Amino acid sequence: MDTNTIDYKKERAGYYKILVGLLLLTAVTFIQPHLFMTHSTFLAQMLIAVVKAWLILMFYMHLKGEKLIIWMTGFSLFIVFTFFAIVIGVDVQKFQFQDESYITKSSTKAHTTDAVHSEPASHSAH
Amino acid sequence: MSHEYIPEIATDRDGNEHEVQGWQGDFYGGKLGFWLFMFTEVLMFGAMFMVLSYYNTLHPQDFLDASASLNRVLGGTNTVILLVSALTMGLGLLKMRTGDVKGAKLMIWATILLATAFLVIKGFEWSAEYHHGIFLMHDQLLAESPLPFGQKLFFGMYFTMTGLHGFHILIGIGLMIWLLKRINAGKVSQDHHILYWNIALYWDIVHLIWVFVFPYYYMIGAGGVTGGH
Repeated sequence: MDTNTIDYKKERAGYYKILVGLLLLTAVTFIQPHLFMTHSTFLAQMLIAVVKAWLILMFYMHLKGEKLIIWMTGFSLFIVFTFFAIVIGVDVQKFQFQDESYITKSSTKAHTTDAVHSEPASHSAH
Repeated sequence: MSHEYIPEIATDRDGNEHEVQGWQGDFYGGKLGFWLFMFTEVLMFGAMFMVLSYYNTLHPQDFLDASASLNRVLGGTNTVILLVSALTMGLGLLKMRTGDVKGAKLMIWATILLATAFLVIKGFEWSAEYHHGIFLMHDQLLAESPLPFGQKLFFGMYFTMTGLHGFHILIGIGLMIWLLKRINAGKVSQDHHILYWNIALYWDIVHLIWVFVFPYYYMIGAGGVTGGH
């Protein structure tokens, strides 16, 4: 992208339009828990964040028209998603030290609550 | 001290002279290199978000309760402040590219002011949380406190991530002051503005990270759940 030939007024207007869009999305962030997808607040919030991120990347960070950097960004996100979300996710799901770990110990207890309750009183006293 | 650019000359085996291309002229290379740096930022914060998500799956209700107790007005104000600061930084770059150096410097100062306001508000927020006994290795976040374990994890990550983000804001302010010095020294100009471009990109990635930090910490518990402190 040539950065020396610019139409100042046009680019400035573009910046203001994106600002208005981002401000509106921020307002939506605040009203969403009371207005829509009220039972999926986490999902709704992350979707709004992704739209905001897309606007910032494309227009404030000038990714629009930058094929090479877009590919690099896409590839990096793919790597992050593949290794972090899938590979580590699968590993975490089958975490072999779940009972020993200080972090996961409490959740393991929660899973086994029923089993503990079904034990005789003398056992659960221990 | 003169700032005139003196090209380096290299001679090949046949005795022909060639001008060595300095990095000053390689705008695209400079930009590409900075994008590579920003990927490392994405990896760092991405890993933290993964940890946060994992803890969230272990203690979903604790996360909602802890999120509900955060101050959304202060968090939202900081969101708008960062949003406007991204605009001032972008407009400043635009002014520099059109040769309006004075306007560009004014916009950098406006960005510094907004960044400082962000840190001051964050300071008030942390201070209030500290007085509630919520702070790293302090009172309610200690292992023996009765606060649910999931909330301890939530607040531990909250202070780590917002602290690291705040540190990035601090670095950003430092970079902008350095940029002003470089502009005053004539090293950054309408024709050589790669430094300005990259610092603006840095400021945008700091904003981008906040775009995800804010809803994850402040908004997920906004749906009328009970709890908190």
